[in-house]
Amino acid sequence: MFLLEGVSKAYPRSVALAPLSIRIDAGEKVAVLGPSGSGKTTLLHLMGGVIQPDRGSITVLGRPLASLGPGRELADLVGVMHQQFDLVPHLAVVHNVLAGNLGRWGMWRSLVSLVVPRERRTALDALDRLGIADKLYERTSTLSGGEQQRVAMARLLVQTPRAILADEPVASLDPARAEDLTKLLAEVAGESGKTLVASLHSVDLARKYFCRAIGLRNGEVQFDAPVGDVTDDTLERLYDIEGLDSLD
Amino acid sequence: MLTLLLLAALGWSMWEVDWTGPVVHTGGAAAAGEFFGALFSLDLSPSFLMVVLEASWYTVAYAVAGITLAGSLGLVLGVVASGVLARSRSVRWPVMVGTRALLAVLRSIHELVWAWLFVVAIGLSPMAAILALAIPYGGILGRIYSDILNDVPQEPLQALRASGASEWKVFLYGRLPMALPDMLSYTFYRFECAVRAAAVMSFVGIAGLGYQIQLSLDDLKFDQVWTLLLFLTAIIVLVDLWSSLVRRRLVL
Repeated sequence: MFLLEGVSKAYPRSVALAPLSIRIDAGEKVAVLGPSGSGKTTLLHLMGGVIQPDRGSITVLGRPLASLGPGRELADLVGVMHQQFDLVPHLAVVHNVLAGNLGRWGMWRSLVSLVVPRERRTALDALDRLGIADKLYERTSTLSGGEQQRVAMARLLVQTPRAILADEPVASLDPARAEDLTKLLAEVAGESGKTLVASLHSVDLARKYFCRAIGLRNGEVQFDAPVGDVTDDTLERLYDIEGLDSLD
Repeated sequence: MLTLLLLAALGWSMWEVDWTGPVVHTGGAAAAGEFFGALFSLDLSPSFLMVVLEASWYTVAYAVAGITLAGSLGLVLGVVASGVLARSRSVRWPVMVGTRALLAVLRSIHELVWAWLFVVAIGLSPMAAILALAIPYGGILGRIYSDILNDVPQEPLQALRASGASEWKVFLYGRLPMALPDMLSYTFYRFECAVRAAAVMSFVGIAGLGYQIQLSLDDLKFDQVWTLLLFLTAIIVLVDLWSSLVRRRLVL
């Protein structure tokens, strides 16, 4: 699904991503672990085409990411999710969910849908799968954090990309809800055979719901292995404060 | 620097005022007493109240028509001036600078001056009052709208782009809904100003509260002046109540 070859990215006054090569197959569930500032977000942004690498190449299903550009082509392949749910708080839930259709819908259809929601069934099914079908017409800002993250996931379900990139999707939720949502995310991705790459703070969640873990430290890949092979010792070295590049 | 300049201007104006004579001219106290005394003997006769109601109706009607036109004008120009829909950088800058200059011209001329101009150009018609309001207010609203549209949080917009939305759709599904409460709130505030401006504008001879105030003042009928002023205040208070009702439903 994703093939990164010799990819590097440097920011002024911030941790750089060392040249790294990663191959992720279709349908894999990959957890990206690492201390704050280790380059997890940068890696996901590169894979999502949000930023361009300084060097190296990224291909998605054999097509160079740079050639896809923004718009429908990219949206059909890759969907992104963030810690801040990035919904429009003033709109009803149904519109935020249906926004996943905007890459496919024409201008007129998009406009009409704001008045009379089109493909209401699609939105309802997605919300139903995530357990919040009753919130369809509520204003998004009135929902709790966990519910809003479900709406963001429902939007991705409607968008139906081949792969989901989730940047610390549960970092702002309490542990119980974080586990709930991580499980749901892994299930939903599994059901439709989507590739899932998520950066996580919790090693436990990675072990429980993902099949492969990539450890990043100072912008370098420290380990890349099936979660079963990741030992406590390896993790201790990954999160060790000593030797971390300072951020400021 | 600017502060110093303003202080200097203030000092100079104080210097220029002629402090040697009394600040209030002689006989002013008696006139003021008569004027404020009339506050307690309002003219509430049915025939006069009909006149006041009709004048209020005109004033409100001009204000509503003016602000509606101004809002439409401001929305179109504001969206263009914000540059959020422009496809490329090379198009965005000339269009933004051009529209902003146009907005500046529209609002740099006061509505009263526009009123004079339109009365001269098209006579004492309601259209003169409405256009005189719509043009400068359209300039003000357009400027504010473009700033509000530019200041919405960017992350939700990025998320919409990531799901394949074009800039137009990002505008419809993200920018506009997020900007709308602030835009409406400011438009209501401007509507209040428009009611006052419509009243004042009728001093140039267009029907309305200002015209009636002028007539009553010329006749030295202060009781009538106060009735008219009370109605003007009542209208402003009502607009204010209405705007807070609408805002409560819209703002988070």
